[in-house]
Amino acid sequence: MATRDSLIQVTDLKKHYNMGAIKALDGVTVDIHRGDVMVVIGPSGSGKSTFLRSLNLLEEPTGGAIVFDGVDITRKKYKDENGKTVKLDIDKLRQKMGMVFQHFNLFPHMTILENMTLAPLKVKGTNKAEAEEKALALLDRVGLSDRAGAYPIQLSGGQKQRVAIVRALAMEPQVMLFDEPTSALDPEMVGEVLDVMKGLAKEGMTMVVVTHEMGFAREVGNRVLFMADGMLLEQGSPEEIFGNPKSPRLKDFLAKVL
Amino acid sequence: MDQFIQLDNFAKITPYAQLFKQGMLVTILLSLFTVVIGFCIALVLALMRMSNVRPFRSLGLDENGHLREGGVLALISRFNPLSFIATAYVEILRSTPVLVQIFIVYYGVFSLIQLPSFQLFGFIKFDRFFPGVVALGMNSGAYLCEIIRAGIQSIDGGQTEAARSLGLSQTQNLRYIILPQALKNILPAIANEFVVIIKESAITYTIGVQDIMSAVNAVRGATFVIVEPLLVATAVYFCLCFPTSKIIAYFERRMSHGDKR
Repeated sequence: MATRDSLIQVTDLKKHYNMGAIKALDGVTVDIHRGDVMVVIGPSGSGKSTFLRSLNLLEEPTGGAIVFDGVDITRKKYKDENGKTVKLDIDKLRQKMGMVFQHFNLFPHMTILENMTLAPLKVKGTNKAEAEEKALALLDRVGLSDRAGAYPIQLSGGQKQRVAIVRALAMEPQVMLFDEPTSALDPEMVGEVLDVMKGLAKEGMTMVVVTHEMGFAREVGNRVLFMADGMLLEQGSPEEIFGNPKSPRLKDFLAKVL
Repeated sequence: MDQFIQLDNFAKITPYAQLFKQGMLVTILLSLFTVVIGFCIALVLALMRMSNVRPFRSLGLDENGHLREGGVLALISRFNPLSFIATAYVEILRSTPVLVQIFIVYYGVFSLIQLPSFQLFGFIKFDRFFPGVVALGMNSGAYLCEIIRAGIQSIDGGQTEAARSLGLSQTQNLRYIILPQALKNILPAIANEFVVIIKESAITYTIGVQDIMSAVNAVRGATFVIVEPLLVATAVYFCLCFPTSKIIAYFERRMSHGDKR
C-alpha cells in the first residue's frame, strides 16, 4: 500500500541470530510517509532500536525489504532502470538519513564546528566557507553558536545532543532517525533536546523516534508504533494508542510507564 | 683487584671512546630504522587483521541477496585470507626468540641474497647492519601491530556508527575519526615499544653489528677490563632511552585536548 507520499516502505523485516533461535525483528511491516513523526515505543528488548538501526543498515537485516528512494536497500545488488546490476552504495544512502544516538557520539578530538563540517566537507565536497557558515547557522538555531570552538567534553549532555542533531541536519537528510535521544540525559536537560525535536517536526521533517518519552509521543508524534518481541503489535495515532489500547501487551506496558 | 670499580680502569678504556661514540651512533640508527620499518609493517598488519576482504563473500548470500543466518557457507563466506596471514605472522614472531629470528634472517635469508658490502659513514658494515634492521623491524612490527590494533579497537563503536551514518566511507572513518583518536591512546604503549627496540638492538652484536655492545666486547678484548665498559654502555643506553620516553610523553600531553581534564 505504497502511497505517493511514501518515503520508506518496510516489508516483513527480519533480523535473526543463531539460525533463527533469536529473533530481534520478526516480520515488521510499516510505511513511513514524508512528514511523518513516527514514534516507536515498547519494552526494552522489544526490537525497537534494532528496527531503527536497520533503516540505515547499521544492523543488517536477515530478511524482508526496506525500500528507500525506490531501492530495496537490504539487497547488496539491485537492477537499475536500465536493467543493469549495480552495487548498493551504502554511503550515498546514509547521507540521506540523519541519525542521532543515545550517547551522542560526537567526535571528541574535534571542535563542535569541525564535528559539524566534517561530513559536508569530506563526503559532499562542500567548500569550507559555505560548510562553516551553514554549521554556524544551524548552531545558532539550537542556541549554541557561541560554543563552535569548544570541544565536546566541555559541553553538557543536553548541549551535546543538540549538537549531534544539527550535525546530522548539516547533511540535509530526508529523514532523521532518533535512537532514544534523551535516555542518557539528566532529567533537567531532556526538555531542551525535545524542544529542538519539536521544532524539527513543525518544519515538516520526517522523523522516526525511538523513545521512552510518552509525553513527546503523544504531543508531537502523528503515528505511534508499539513493538514487543520483535513484532509490531499495534500502530495508530497517539489518541488511538494511548486512549484506546487494544492488545493486552500494550495495556500492560502503558500501565507501567504512564 | 678487590674493588668492584677501579678508577684507573676508566683511564685504560678512554682511548677507546671513539668506539663507544660510533657504537652509540649505530644503536641510534639501528633503532630509528627499526622503528620506521616496524611501524610500517605494523600498520599494514593491523589493517590486514581488521580488513573485510572475503573472497567467498557471495556464498554468504541466499538467492534473494540476503545474508544467510548460519551454516558452513556462512562460515566460509566470512573467511578472510589477509587477516589469516597477518594473524599467523604476528603469532609466529611473538612466539619465537628474537635471537633465533636474527640468526635466521642473517645466516638464512641473507646468505641467499647477496648484499653489497660497503660501509655507511665509513664504519657501519652495511651487510651486517641491514639484516639486523630487517630482523628487528619484522619482530617489532608484530608487537606494534597488536598495539595499533588494540588502540583502534579501544575506540567506542559509536564513533564508527556516527561517522558511517553521516555518510563517511570505511576509509574516511579510519582516517578522520578512528586513527587520530587511536594514535593518542596508544602513544604510551608505542613509547614503551620504542624504548624496548633501543635496548633490544643490543642483540644485533651477535651478528657483528658494531653497536654499543660490540664496543664493550672490543674494549674487553683489548684491555681485559669488563665492568667499566659495561657501566659506560649502561649510561649510554639510559641516556638514549630516558629522553625518548620523555619526548613522547610531551607529545602525548600536546595531543590531549578534547580529553577529560
